[in-house]
Amino acid sequence: MAAVREDFDVRSVERGEVLRYLGYAGQALTPELDARIDEVVETCLATCRPQGVVRVFDVAGRGEKNGAPVIRLSGTALELAGRSIDEHLAGAVAVGVLAVTVGMGVEVELRRLSLVDPVAQVIFDAAGTAAVERAADAAEASIVAEAHERGLFCGTRFSPGYGDLPLSTQPVLLDALDAGRLLGIRLSPALLMSPTKSVTAVVGLFERPRPEAHASCGGCPCRDFCVLLRAGSTCRG
Amino acid sequence: MTHDDTLAAALAGDGFLLFDGAMGTQLQERGLAAGELPELLCLTDPEKIAEVHAAYVAAGADVVTTNTFGANAAKLGDAASVEEVFSAAVACARAAHPRYVAADIGPTGQLLEPMGTLAFDDAYELFARQVRAADAAGADLFVIETMADLAEAKAALLAVRENSDLPVFVTMTFQEDGRTFLGTTPEVAAVTLSALGADAVGINCSLGPRDVAPLVKRMLPWASCPVMAQANAGLPRVEGGETRYDVGPEEYAEAVAGMLDAGVTIVGGCCGTTPAHIAAERALLAGRRPALRALRDCLTVAGPQRLVALAPGQVGVIGERINPTGKRKMKEALRSGNHDHVIAEAMAQERAGAQILDVNAGLPEIDERAVMRRLVSELLSVTTLPLQIDSSDPAVVEAAVRSYPGKALINSVNGKAESLAAVVPIAARYGCALVGLTLDEDGIPATAQGRLAVARKIVAATDAAGIPRHDVAIDCLAMAASTDQTAPRAILDAIRAVKSELPGVRTVLGVSNISFGLPFRPLLNATFLAAALGAGLDLAIINPGVRRMMDVVDSWRVLSGEDEQARFYVEHYADRSDAPGAAPSPAGEKDAAPAPAAELPADPVERARALVLDGRAEPMGEAMAEVLQCHDALFAINEVLVPALDEVGRRFEDGSFFLPQLMASAEAAKAGFEVVRAAAAPGDAAAAGKGEVVVCTVKGDIHDIGKNIVRMLLENYGFDVIDLGRDVDPEVVARTVEERHVRLAGLSALMTTTVPAMAETIELLRERAPWCKVVVGGAVLTPEYAQMVGADFYAKDATETARIAEQVLAP
Repeated sequence: MAAVREDFDVRSVERGEVLRYLGYAGQALTPELDARIDEVVETCLATCRPQGVVRVFDVAGRGEKNGAPVIRLSGTALELAGRSIDEHLAGAVAVGVLAVTVGMGVEVELRRLSLVDPVAQVIFDAAGTAAVERAADAAEASIVAEAHERGLFCGTRFSPGYGDLPLSTQPVLLDALDAGRLLGIRLSPALLMSPTKSVTAVVGLFERPRPEAHASCGGCPCRDFCVLLRAGSTCRG
Repeated sequence: MTHDDTLAAALAGDGFLLFDGAMGTQLQERGLAAGELPELLCLTDPEKIAEVHAAYVAAGADVVTTNTFGANAAKLGDAASVEEVFSAAVACARAAHPRYVAADIGPTGQLLEPMGTLAFDDAYELFARQVRAADAAGADLFVIETMADLAEAKAALLAVRENSDLPVFVTMTFQEDGRTFLGTTPEVAAVTLSALGADAVGINCSLGPRDVAPLVKRMLPWASCPVMAQANAGLPRVEGGETRYDVGPEEYAEAVAGMLDAGVTIVGGCCGTTPAHIAAERALLAGRRPALRALRDCLTVAGPQRLVALAPGQVGVIGERINPTGKRKMKEALRSGNHDHVIAEAMAQERAGAQILDVNAGLPEIDERAVMRRLVSELLSVTTLPLQIDSSDPAVVEAAVRSYPGKALINSVNGKAESLAAVVPIAARYGCALVGLTLDEDGIPATAQGRLAVARKIVAATDAAGIPRHDVAIDCLAMAASTDQTAPRAILDAIRAVKSELPGVRTVLGVSNISFGLPFRPLLNATFLAAALGAGLDLAIINPGVRRMMDVVDSWRVLSGEDEQARFYVEHYADRSDAPGAAPSPAGEKDAAPAPAAELPADPVERARALVLDGRAEPMGEAMAEVLQCHDALFAINEVLVPALDEVGRRFEDGSFFLPQLMASAEAAKAGFEVVRAAAAPGDAAAAGKGEVVVCTVKGDIHDIGKNIVRMLLENYGFDVIDLGRDVDPEVVARTVEERHVRLAGLSALMTTTVPAMAETIELLRERAPWCKVVVGGAVLTPEYAQMVGADFYAKDATETARIAEQVLAP
């Protein structure tokens, strides 16, 4: 089975989210700065080309490698190693894997701004972060929908580099999603993704609802992208 | 047809060549696990690979493609050697008894500089090893495919041409918007890669054949070689846990038929295609003849995202401003390495209507080659205009055009035997357009016939080297009218003579020399430009920022018919007037809106402080100029700007300012400092800097936001910042610090994986420049971590870095 690319709409990124990434805590802004932030955020969202790939793999087994727990998945060479992911996915019967990016256009503009307008670069960067997080929400919503079809329930996202899930998971994870070909994501020897506004993550699929994730639609990050909600149901059964 | 005839005919464009279809999706159907390196199957399960090849041969494919898409040393790692994989892969392909085996080369998987961290030369080395392995293993040709980055495609193509004699086909992958992930268009790819010597260019992967067809058709008029298409079998859809591609063999062949009708001669398939798709194409080719193609007779130059093509009768503008000759600020910028001024000139020229930018870094005391490469890389990030590489040193030209992601214009060769021998081969090897100056060992001929004779010599050399005539532009060299009033006529006659006696060749001219030594030069320049255009000039090297010059170009384009129905002229000149008092508004720019009328103090000192606190750079220049009317530079800095900045720093510390406010204030203060420095007498201690600080993001890391903030703030406090950029080699840091005896270096790293590069840089600094203190910062760093990597200081943010700099560099 090959991976399939999806396009996402992240226009729902809110100014407040961007401001939070900038460390905003209610400071009074001049009208000039206020307008500048709006303008840069708008440009960033217009530059974004949010796309992603998700695949769901069944858990094939759990074992140990170099003294650390490891989760093996069927149909892929991807393995998830470390205590933190082992705890995060305890009891999971399948794992959704996602890679999303807002595209090289954002990266090109960030590079341009770094040379001509560092103030705009900072704002653009925060907007790009907000946008790629929204794209990850959208990809997660696709996994939630697939889980629902199988009568399963999703946990929360977990990315390589968090806890002790090593960054060295990235090469195989990206290859498993054919992310180079489908999304244009490249990986440096330091395991840095380009475009830098890209996210990879895994999500556990469980037989019972998870108290920590998707507990209510109101606070759910996937809400704007949820096909279940649009069809009048929820992922909680 | 015999073995060799089919390929030879295809290379000549006289016959078709049918490639195979997908390998990856075929292997997935046979149980390849996601994320597994498919290339290793050549070693572990050769029968399976041979089976896929054999099915394509049975379907009628002339060429099978080896299973080596990702078989480069970086991707294979310790799993297998490049040589083992290519040897096994070619053997698998041969086992299927195809007419030809194409060695497959895919992207490295890494992003090249300047957007990424892989150096062009390192990418070249990865490819060169694959090429040597495939050549030794007995492949018949190369196919470089699924490229998204023109620079990477160029590195791979050069690697083949310089390490093998086999034919090489290059295809790139495009998105629905008709661009690659990095923004390259089909026209730019076709022009650049065919000029660089690809034996075929085209498109693979990307989309279904219906969507690839219009894109590949856009390549046809621009590729001086056969054109190739290997589309996907439409879009994949997941149905009941299975992935299915939505375009079947019949529909696929139908879309390919449209491509053949347009002139495509090499076809096959990519993701999702099967032997049935290839069989359908084989049936389609039976009894067909290649369609006739018409190539454009245009001078072409291309940046990675933009093609400039001049058909006969069209005129082009080359911006001349990025050249230190006679320009104090440009000299300073090139010497100091602070290229803000260069970048500003580039953007201003683009806005003013330049189509190509001349880039000259010729100063005796700098490393011209290194500065040229860095300038090209920076200019590529801020403008899409193609570049004209301008140097008298062939080694500098070669270094710049080799890795340039596009088709550059070289300025220049001349009629001297030595110059012809050095420069013409560079233009030919790298597929560049070339400017030829009409001077030789005897100097610049005084007469038109003398200049024509030199031009003949140059064109004989470019003809012999295989450079198309439309890619050669002869510069008949403008001389000052003030010293010889017959010169202008001789130049105009020479332009006419070159155009009529050397058909196909173009002309170019640096115009402004004509007025040297005379008053009100813009008027003479403009008049001469008009006369030169009338004489047949194709490319004018001018300062497009001079309104009068662009007026001549824009109006000439109406008179020559290039500006069809005078659309551009009417749009941009309808409101122009020579009436007294009528302010000419620059083309394409809206009148600046008046600044929002916020209440500002009338006292200039108070106003300047308020503007820094408000972060408003625009009115800052005027306020500081007023301050300087009643105060000296020392007062302006120590009593106005620095206290305001200190207040900004306090507010940032206590949380009443957040980051964009801090930066906007820094920007406003910078505008103020620029006014003070410009007004200060040379040697004025108050306006002189407080000392040099080197800053950079360490090797392997491309996050530069934090570093840029630090730079802004340090500049504000009067330090001379040498910004080495991002992903900087430890050696470059050490060399700079050593050579300039810099006393403080600021290093930034954002990833745990790049912190070791920070430690390495510090170690090298200790060894080579023990006097230099090091301050480090970045998201992953802590005071403990900073100590561990051997830094002298840890700074949690930019304001703290500024304090540390004050402390270290205190007089």
